[in-house]
Amino acid sequence: MKKLSALSLLVTSLVALPVAAHHGWSRYDNDKPITLTGKVVEASYTYPHGTIKLDAAGKTWLAVLAPPSRMSARGLSSDDLKPGIQATVEGYPNRDDPAEMRAERITIGGKTTELR
Amino acid sequence: MSPGARLLDALEQGGIAQAMRDSMWLYPVVETVHIVGFIILVGAVILFDLRVLGLSKRVPVRMLAAHLLPWGAAALVLIVPAGLLMFSSDAGNLVGNRAFVLKMLLLMLAGANAAAFHMGSFRTAARWDQGVTAPVSARLHAAASLLLWIGIVTCGRMIAYA
Repeated sequence: MKKLSALSLLVTSLVALPVAAHHGWSRYDNDKPITLTGKVVEASYTYPHGTIKLDAAGKTWLAVLAPPSRMSARGLSSDDLKPGIQATVEGYPNRDDPAEMRAERITIGGKTTELR
Repeated sequence: MSPGARLLDALEQGGIAQAMRDSMWLYPVVETVHIVGFIILVGAVILFDLRVLGLSKRVPVRMLAAHLLPWGAAALVLIVPAGLLMFSSDAGNLVGNRAFVLKMLLLMLAGANAAAFHMGSFRTAARWDQGVTAPVSARLHAAASLLLWIGIVTCGRMIAYA
């Protein structure tokens, strides 16, 4: 009986954890928006989300984009994401990896696509 | 590279994982199969838990178990392969995703809780089959199961946002 109560207490706290941690949950730092402009050196239009590698601010960044279905629905095709093009991404840096960011929007050739 | 990291890398570089990433329709289809599967499983589990907790006491517990639980188990045929396919497409990232890790932990607890229920309080179900309140231990297992599965679904959804 005691064991069972302990189990249900543990279970309740585990279930409550994501709720309690809802701000610290994300791997990306919403308090530090960044904007990067540079040359795309690698691009992938893949599930679960596309990515680009971007030479900007003295290093090569990995920018995580959105699922291909969403990008395509918003008019950003795989042909728009090619190595060699100039791109600007706005988003949030990864807390643990200083060369990774999650892009909220991307601008290529004057056209901005929202990614969230 | 550690053996674990090498394994994840090999999984990610496999042909099926690559197809999951590159195909425009495969990932959404597999995701839908996963969801249809867990609707059946989680639906069956929650309805059974609610009965053990005391709702619809006129429905015999053992008859309800015989109807719902095999459907839940059969749904694993959809859920597990679809889940593994999605995992393979992004294995290296997922093992560091806190929502994914917590989901796996909760799944193990839910499995242990179900096993403990079936080996424990459910064996006396003939005595509380219909019209009576289930023993406290059975109701605790049912409550834990309910919370765990809600947690598992929540974590599953959170993987995309973690």
